[in-house]
Amino acid sequence: MLVLSRKAGEVITIGSSIRITVLSHERGIVRLGIEAPRSVAVHRKEVYDKIIEANINAAKTEPGALKRFVVALEMDPTIEQESKSLAFIANTSKSQENNENAMNKQNESQGDK
Amino acid sequence: MEARRIHTQQFGELEVEPRHIFFFENGLMGFENLREFVLVSDDESAPFKWLISIEESGIGFPLLSPWHIDAAYDIGNEFDPDRNAVFVVVTLSPSGLTANMKAPVLLDTKSQSGRQVILPNEQYQPMFSFGAVRSTGERT
Repeated sequence: MLVLSRKAGEVITIGSSIRITVLSHERGIVRLGIEAPRSVAVHRKEVYDKIIEANINAAKTEPGALKRFVVALEMDPTIEQESKSLAFIANTSKSQENNENAMNKQNESQGDK
Repeated sequence: MEARRIHTQQFGELEVEPRHIFFFENGLMGFENLREFVLVSDDESAPFKWLISIEESGIGFPLLSPWHIDAAYDIGNEFDPDRNAVFVVVTLSPSGLTANMKAPVLLDTKSQSGRQVILPNEQYQPMFSFGAVRSTGERT
């Protein structure tokens, strides 16, 4: 780890587009001003760690475990995604429907013969 | 473009079309190596949706529209209702449900891409508790 000593008002640069200014230090708290391009995400590490923890906890959820919450939550079904169409979501029952359709079609075409 | 059959641990065989598949260039936080996901809705667990990894079987994130949880949820200027959809990742814990309001999943339905963004708003928490387990006395 590179260790640098800085006084209040002094700056550290990282690459050509990131500047970190030491604004003040008081009672063990250092205030930093960070200038970075929008593409560089700057966050307190605790927040980042919590997001990772939440993702890991969510990643192996079984659909069955969630079903009972659908009832328990009594969510307002009229609230839907604010996006105009939900065509970008695959529906599990549709997959089954399609399977049945495909089978029916097969049956039909066999019937034609 | 052809529909594609994929096998998922959560829902078995699914027939998915290209418009259901989203590419996450940076993955999700903690899962940076997983890029390709299919967005699934399952009537039995509606209104939850699912972001299912195509690359790693068994990895899938339950999603919910953030407006189910907070009608005033504000994602900022990045949201364009004509091309974006927003979901928050939901976690099931022994004490109930939490939602990651701090880092929503932003989907772009025009470029079929997605990313998990961190909102600057300090009020939004990564583990916001919104649903408690109803004590029915039964263990499932």
